[in-house]
Amino acid sequence: MSPADTIAQPALWPLSLIVFLPALVAAVMALPVIPKAREELIRWITLATTIAVFVLSLWMAWPTLFGAVGPAQFTVGEAGMQAVVKRPWIPAFNIDYLLGVDGISMPLVVLTTFLSVLACGASWPITKHVKAYHVLFLLLETGMLGVFVSLDFFLFYVFWEVMLLPMYFLIGIWGGPRREYAAIKFFLYTLFGSVLMLLAILMLYFTSDLRSLSPEQLVASHVVSPALDAAGQADAVAVIRSAKGPIHTFNLLALAQLGQLPNSPFAAVNLWGMSLETWAFLLLLIGFVIKVPVVPVHTWLPDAHVEAPTPISMILAGVLLKLGGYGILRICYPICPGAGLSLAWLVCGLGVVSMVYGAFAALAQKDFKRMVAYSSVSHMGYVMLGLGVWSATAGNEFRWDAWAQGVNGAMFQMLAHGISSAGMFFMVGVLYDRVHHRNLEECGGIFNRMPVYSGLAVALFFAGLGLPGLCGFIGEVLVTLSSWNYSRVLAVISAFTVILTAAYILWAIQRVYLGGEYKGPHGDHLTPITGRELAIATPLVFLAILFGVAPQLIFNYVTPSVNRQVETLADWTRDIGGKPPQPVAGGPVPAEVTGVR
Amino acid sequence: MDLATQLPQLLGIAWLLPLASFVLILFFGPKMGPHGRNAAWVATAAIVTSLVLSLVAFVSWLGAHPVTAVHHGGDHGAAHASDHAAAGHSDAGDHGEASGHGGAAASHNDQGVHAPVAYSGDWYTLYEGGRLKLSIGWYVDSLTILMFVLVTFIATCIHVYASGYMHDELHDVTDHEVTLADGHHLHRAGRFPRFFQALSLFCFSMMGILIAGNLAMVFIFWELVGICSWFLIGFYYERKSASTAANKAFIVNRVGDFGMLIGLMALWGALGTLHFADAKVVGADGQTATVPGLFSLVRPAESGHALRVPDGMVKFAAADKVARTPVAEVAGKIEAWRAEGLGDWLLFIAGVGIFCGCVGKSAQFPLSVWLPDAMEGPTPVSALVHSATMVAAGVYLVGRFFPVLSPDVLLVIAYTGAITLFIAATIALVANDIKRVLAYSTVSQLGYMMLALGVGGWVAGLFHLVTHAFFKSLLFLCSGSVIHACHTNDMRKMGGLAKVMPYTAGTMLVGCLAIIGAGIPFVIGLSGYYSKDSILAQALSFSQANPQHAILFYAVAGGAFLTAFYMFRLWFMTFAGKARDHHVHEHAHESPQVMVMPLLVLAVLAVVAGWTLPGGFGIANLLEQSRPAGTVETTTGGFAFGQTLTIPAEYLSHGEPFHATATWTAFATALGGVLLAAAMYVWRVISPAAVAMIFRPVYTLLANRWYFDELYHALFVVPAHGLAATASGIDQGLIDPFLNGLAWVTRLVAGVDSWIDRTLVDGLVNATAAATWSAGTRLKVLQTGSLRQYVAFIAIGTVALFVIASLFFRASLAG
Repeated sequence: MSPADTIAQPALWPLSLIVFLPALVAAVMALPVIPKAREELIRWITLATTIAVFVLSLWMAWPTLFGAVGPAQFTVGEAGMQAVVKRPWIPAFNIDYLLGVDGISMPLVVLTTFLSVLACGASWPITKHVKAYHVLFLLLETGMLGVFVSLDFFLFYVFWEVMLLPMYFLIGIWGGPRREYAAIKFFLYTLFGSVLMLLAILMLYFTSDLRSLSPEQLVASHVVSPALDAAGQADAVAVIRSAKGPIHTFNLLALAQLGQLPNSPFAAVNLWGMSLETWAFLLLLIGFVIKVPVVPVHTWLPDAHVEAPTPISMILAGVLLKLGGYGILRICYPICPGAGLSLAWLVCGLGVVSMVYGAFAALAQKDFKRMVAYSSVSHMGYVMLGLGVWSATAGNEFRWDAWAQGVNGAMFQMLAHGISSAGMFFMVGVLYDRVHHRNLEECGGIFNRMPVYSGLAVALFFAGLGLPGLCGFIGEVLVTLSSWNYSRVLAVISAFTVILTAAYILWAIQRVYLGGEYKGPHGDHLTPITGRELAIATPLVFLAILFGVAPQLIFNYVTPSVNRQVETLADWTRDIGGKPPQPVAGGPVPAEVTGVR
Repeated sequence: MDLATQLPQLLGIAWLLPLASFVLILFFGPKMGPHGRNAAWVATAAIVTSLVLSLVAFVSWLGAHPVTAVHHGGDHGAAHASDHAAAGHSDAGDHGEASGHGGAAASHNDQGVHAPVAYSGDWYTLYEGGRLKLSIGWYVDSLTILMFVLVTFIATCIHVYASGYMHDELHDVTDHEVTLADGHHLHRAGRFPRFFQALSLFCFSMMGILIAGNLAMVFIFWELVGICSWFLIGFYYERKSASTAANKAFIVNRVGDFGMLIGLMALWGALGTLHFADAKVVGADGQTATVPGLFSLVRPAESGHALRVPDGMVKFAAADKVARTPVAEVAGKIEAWRAEGLGDWLLFIAGVGIFCGCVGKSAQFPLSVWLPDAMEGPTPVSALVHSATMVAAGVYLVGRFFPVLSPDVLLVIAYTGAITLFIAATIALVANDIKRVLAYSTVSQLGYMMLALGVGGWVAGLFHLVTHAFFKSLLFLCSGSVIHACHTNDMRKMGGLAKVMPYTAGTMLVGCLAIIGAGIPFVIGLSGYYSKDSILAQALSFSQANPQHAILFYAVAGGAFLTAFYMFRLWFMTFAGKARDHHVHEHAHESPQVMVMPLLVLAVLAVVAGWTLPGGFGIANLLEQSRPAGTVETTTGGFAFGQTLTIPAEYLSHGEPFHATATWTAFATALGGVLLAAAMYVWRVISPAAVAMIFRPVYTLLANRWYFDELYHALFVVPAHGLAATASGIDQGLIDPFLNGLAWVTRLVAGVDSWIDRTLVDGLVNATAAATWSAGTRLKVLQTGSLRQYVAFIAIGTVALFVIASLFFRASLAG
């Protein structure tokens, strides 16, 4: 049908393998090929798979490491989508198997594959239903990676759901005493969000019409493959533009182009007093902020973390939370800019509330892991704030750089938090494996008992504290500095959080690691850190320092893509005069929209 | 090699060497000789090399910019606009050299007021986006170099001293202050290398602040210094008091950093730069453009370096008006908006915000509570971190940032300093812990420096910073020597130690004389004599120019009296008279040579550091070279407190009538304080106990340190924990019950639904029940079956989802 089928797509296999290799291995393992009893073999197979995927993603993301740069690999410093793979998937609904990476998703993909390797290593102590655990673990990896590379909204949603189920079982079966409660809570929260997201997806789909896009926009959004020659492109464009009825699309890039049109079809539709764009933004936002999570929809997180086994906590904090931030950045803002502009206060406000509330709540916790979980709420608040600081207004002549700084900071914070929080959860797990409790009041003196472990743990906690020279600092300071141009009040409150963060982290360190003697049970089990644990903790500490000292390593990837998006949106703000477009009262409502129940 | 290339290289290496030492000791410390003994050598070698490099930089600087006496246009008091060029007047060739090197330096202007010579540039970038750039760079002027020499020199003394002082850590240690659950004292391995590791990291961080070319970098190292101090205060981390003091120090400092962040935001948000100096950037078109730094934004050369609100701040404050103005007309209206006062507050907030950071770091009121507790750390730490370097960083930053501070901010600084110096001095009057007396004395002296800067005494404040660093580290090391000998901090158990510890007693006497500013009026004196006199003179000059603020002068004069009293109370209680506790006295002994040597060296410097050699070479004149542009002459301004403030030119205070009055005041107050101390503690004509009885309420207030700790506990700590419990309680008592209730309602509805199904549907469709049952059983297998089946189903299902969808696509393609 489509000439795109015949075009060479060099990234097809590498990118597909990155996403699907874990699932394929999981499917094979699920068959009774490998006996359940061969637990060690299963662990090694899983580890080998995660390592293979990690190497593959590194091969893509960092071509120079492997010598020659191939066409499927990532060009650092380029802003646009790269390694785009497009195959028609369900043509009846214009659904494509559309994958691609840019500076925003590439680092997150590598973070995911990297943390999967470490989490797999951290899964060694798991002895219950080993095979099932690893199958689900690999499926989870496919789901996460799929979300990051999908450029088709439907595909995105499928992967989003694929991720949900394994997580539910991983918490519900391998978790702590209250695992079932935690798992169902996680499941219901996320499912609620996904349902709303699905609603928004359908709204956008049925309102979209590719015919409104110019030929350049069609090419830029890969609706018409840029790899075609001029004649081929013209043909494909002509097919679209001459269609009788509207051509709907799930293509995220095309939806973004539509959303940023001066007469955006999403902004024009009035639905119960608000534009469809606003509805879609809000529905999507709810779905995403549940994942982030922000206050007040965060209560699944402490329970999930406390009950989840250590490696799952690492994945949960390290990767899953980032999906929310990624979704807001990739989907909410580009597709619904008008709503983004008028609701920026909501995004920022939720972020700041989470920062402060999470920090206060962390201060009150007696359970070590719960404390770390609340610190995640607080730290992810920075991400929300950074994404939301839409400071390009008429008052500052629509300057985009302050906002771009916030978004870059938010991206950095996501990656840094991926490292520091995964590390913190792992460190809590190491202690728990020995003494089988997490009560902050019944610890102390660990430094003298396990010096190497404690040194590494304190380094990771300092990264969480936002100490300069470690990865937590850069994101926090960029976000905080950028928020001033958006709102002075929010900026001051966000700056205030640095005090609380110092308080809860230092207090926890004092109670657990410092002091003369260990005060809890099982003191004789406080054996030095093992080689396996060291192999997991050391890379995390190393990266925490590396990214803290040389943040450019990340910004080289992130900044071009982020800046382009923000600059585009700032220009868009200027073009509309700084005021979000209002829906036309009594304007045309497509039959499909009103038909959506 | 020219200076612009050479200085950053020299100082950069000097800065990084301690970092290398830190890394080496971190990984190999315990393997360095028996019990890591050689770690001390590694750290000392690093800091000595840094000192040498700093000295080389110093000499190079002097070669290019010789220090000469500053001329104030002949007759004092007369305002000369043309002839008061303070600094950077060496040779024009240098300016070209400096500015040619990516870094900016001096620029001349028509009025003959020179900007000081400084070299600046960037090493590398942390973040860059649009016009915004955060980087690691340098800003080197005579102040930077002087501080480098000072810090590395004192750090060297302290490294040497500590290698003797910390020798207990070379063996297993029994910590008598930690009692375990079984009633025994804690027995632990020694941590000798760990101490030097932290000391090295501290030196690295401290020099990072000094060399920083922009405020972001200052902030980075500001925090790092904080965490180093956390390590050092909490060195005996088994002691609850030590780890609590470490946490307190860091958290209180973060309160200051909160304000500093606001200041940074105000600058960054409106101006888009945190660089001190102008920077040359090469644009995409190959053209070199100058990006103005903070100093020239606030004090542009074209206005004769007079302070004015920068355009960026005016526009930021006038955002509403900018939004209503066509883009082309904005530039033309800025002047009018500035005249309306738009942006004044922003500049004020920026200045006060940055000063908040300094309040935390330099333990000023109201954030002074952490410093006395920080004495939990080993004494060399107190000497290095809490007297000469880290706490001085706040004063240094005020000095560095001085050009951006508006008169209103200076007034805030002056009053903060005055309150601090008074409160801390009064607490020191009654403290009995020898280190705590010195700690409060430090707080008080830092208040002096802040006050000096606040009343316009830029050189006076920084001069005192330098002299104080020498005599206060000397005093701390002496106290360490005493504690080392007596194994107690309590002065009430000392007395008569002069006989057994002559070197310590002698050098400490020098330190005490230096801090009270002893000297023969108008002839010669110890280092403190010069710096304290210049502060007094400037405060007097300020008070005369602004009579409503005369109290600032009285605070300085009163503080001088208190200082003299409590310092000599300390000396008399410790060294004079008879031994009060014979047990302590019998064990007392002079410290080993490795500890005495640094005392002697520092004592010599405490005497001579203030001197000006014939020809003009001296610290004050060296500092004059870096005096911020636009602060040579008397300036006026101010809006925030509804009054116009006059910041008198500093050279005025060197003349009459201020100089003589100040000198006599200093002499009289110091003498009075010493005599009173002698009367109470040597001649015993006045009984201290009786005085305490008479002034019972005052004594109680001071002995309890004005109840600051209790007040803060009630005002901040308790509410914070309350809010924390509330937040946690909302989660568990409100949100979750709501959700659980929702779930319960859902289940209830489902139950009703299923009851209807069971009674109605089952009753009606009896015939199909069997079929339903069997289908249900089959589904039940799926639901409650083994986990493996579940997982296999999900795994295969996921893959199948994609396969089937693809097949569907093929089918539809075929169709």
